[in-house]
Amino acid sequence: MPKCTINGQEVEVKEGSTIMQAFYQLDQGIAHYCYHPGLSVAGVCRLCVVDIEGNPRPQIACNTVVTEGMKVSNQSEKIKDGVKWILDFHLINHPLDCPICDQAGECGLQEQYMEYGKYNSEMAEPKVKKHKVVDLGPTVVLDSERCILCSRCVRFTDEVSKTNELGLFNRGDKTEIGTFEGKELNNKYSLNTVDICPVGALTSKDFRFRQRVWYLKNSETVCTGCSTGCNVKVYYNKEGAFRVKPVFNENVNGHWMCDEGRDIYKFVNIEHRQTLAHKMIGGQKSEMPAGQAATEAFQVVKSTPSEKLAVVLTGQYTNEEYEAVLKNFKTKNVFHWKNLENSMNDFDGLLIRGDKNPNTKGLEAAMKAAGIHTNWNDLEKSLSSGAITTVVVAGPENLAVYPDFADKVKLMAQAENVIWMTACHSEQFKAFNQSAFVIPTKSYLEKAGTFTNHAGLNQSFKKATTIVSHALTLSEASFLLTGQSIPIAVAPQAAAFVDVDRRADQVMIENRKKNEFVFKRGSL
Amino acid sequence: MSVVNNTPNKSNWYFSSILGGLFITAKHLIKNLLNKDKMITLNYPEEKYEYSPRFKGNHVLTVKKDGAIRCTACMLCATNCPAECIKITAAEHNDPTVEKFPIAYEIDVLRCVFCGFCEEACPVDAIRMGPEWQTPGSNGSQFIYDINHLAYRPQLKGGVVSVVDEVERHKSGI
Repeated sequence: MPKCTINGQEVEVKEGSTIMQAFYQLDQGIAHYCYHPGLSVAGVCRLCVVDIEGNPRPQIACNTVVTEGMKVSNQSEKIKDGVKWILDFHLINHPLDCPICDQAGECGLQEQYMEYGKYNSEMAEPKVKKHKVVDLGPTVVLDSERCILCSRCVRFTDEVSKTNELGLFNRGDKTEIGTFEGKELNNKYSLNTVDICPVGALTSKDFRFRQRVWYLKNSETVCTGCSTGCNVKVYYNKEGAFRVKPVFNENVNGHWMCDEGRDIYKFVNIEHRQTLAHKMIGGQKSEMPAGQAATEAFQVVKSTPSEKLAVVLTGQYTNEEYEAVLKNFKTKNVFHWKNLENSMNDFDGLLIRGDKNPNTKGLEAAMKAAGIHTNWNDLEKSLSSGAITTVVVAGPENLAVYPDFADKVKLMAQAENVIWMTACHSEQFKAFNQSAFVIPTKSYLEKAGTFTNHAGLNQSFKKATTIVSHALTLSEASFLLTGQSIPIAVAPQAAAFVDVDRRADQVMIENRKKNEFVFKRGSL
Repeated sequence: MSVVNNTPNKSNWYFSSILGGLFITAKHLIKNLLNKDKMITLNYPEEKYEYSPRFKGNHVLTVKKDGAIRCTACMLCATNCPAECIKITAAEHNDPTVEKFPIAYEIDVLRCVFCGFCEEACPVDAIRMGPEWQTPGSNGSQFIYDINHLAYRPQLKGGVVSVVDEVERHKSGI
């Protein structure tokens, strides 16, 4: 375990780690474009130069191994000057068209040239023109002029996705990124190249020009695309969610996520959502807010004998909601609706799993804890025989991964009363022509909870935003459906007014009341 | 605090002040009658005052030489706008050198405070504050100006050409 000193701060690093990793370990800032912690070292951008004591010339931090007693600094004037001129080399052919570039606002090059003030080119020669708007594949667009040839994307396709579609072509200032003859960038992880691109050369077709990044807020959550449970950041504003990016988690997804998972923001947006509850009584349809529908549906649940009531759950809700549902409906007729049962245990070797629910493991554990062992075929039999008259269904949020959705809706429609809770609207609900309630629920972005992934790892996430404000979470709905009121957690009185950032000389409320006599208006 | 007593001393010498006022009014009347050109009032709305060219009136979106809209939909004006009255929808252009252009550009003029931050923020001289300001409307008239109005309204006679020319910029190597 060698020890080294970084900008005067001592740190002990692992054997064989580079100066860059030591910088990361200390959380010290160092500019770099080609280095990425999830990829091999290329050492092409030369921006991470540092001063090593006893070494006459600056060295790059990403490709220099730490040795015992090494003294490293990147704060000296010499290094700052070096970085400035290396930056100028990067900007020789870069068009600096930040206003129309989609990366503006989160671009490494923009940050650096603003810091060093390299607004104007030092070169007398005109900039080399390259290809613009190159269609690399179904998901990614390339702008060669903006590319600084860091080769991160090439290394990604070589090392992580192992599909080898991208390469560097031509020489010198004519060098361009491109795909090999007859190939296109079409793999299940292609959009990671957009994330790791330090400039705006690679842009996602899905997100391109839809929003400026500074209009978006982000919130960390767990991907609901499959049972891997990748840690992701969802970018949203008041118009809805716009994109999903991976967040580093060593135990789950590393630095990456799949292209399928990037679509999970789509169904939470308002155009796909069930905005109002539907109530069908004898062919008469009426619309109402979710809470009212759930309260009215309680009358149906109440009038059903408990052995004729069944609850159907899907693996798309949180552990807390399952717990509440199983606790409130004191029935043993709880069934697990499994989609894609044949490909449930598929795995592509990197991240994508065949189980397209985020929380199948959590549902199984909750049912086991409640002592429920049921078979889906029993439900089908008792529905057709009329042994079950009321079904309460917690339907899926992501309808795209439920190919059997239409069949299941028709199956449930056999029951006398259907209470269907869903976040997303579907045309299939027309199949309900007798007594039915369709109650909107909150999507995963609008609630806090825990998902248990394929390996049994519990991952909690927080609420990000509100899209359908009056929708209920599954636990709230289960309280209303069983005739209870929604428990509202009231913070204890003392905790309600915690001074987080109180100044030492701040006047407290009781003192302020006394002071009101002194500072009475007009008496000064 | 000292108190000012505002009760005036009773006086009959107000008559001379009235005469003085009447004299000034009569002086201006005669002056204007004899010298109509130098009169400082206008017969609005038949006559209109010419403001300075820097006057910040209603917005104009400039066009390129070929008449296409100059705006690149970079959203800097919308970001800079303190009244949040600019709404732009960007789209992909067929021409790869243009790349991005606005398919919708709307300014809610009733929200606009005419501060001129949008024209200051614009990197390509795509938006300017024009000279016209007398744009009243009756109930139900359109106060959310779209591209058609902002760039191609009849008063602009085919559009104002932007000083930033893409072709020349490309030639100079930018």
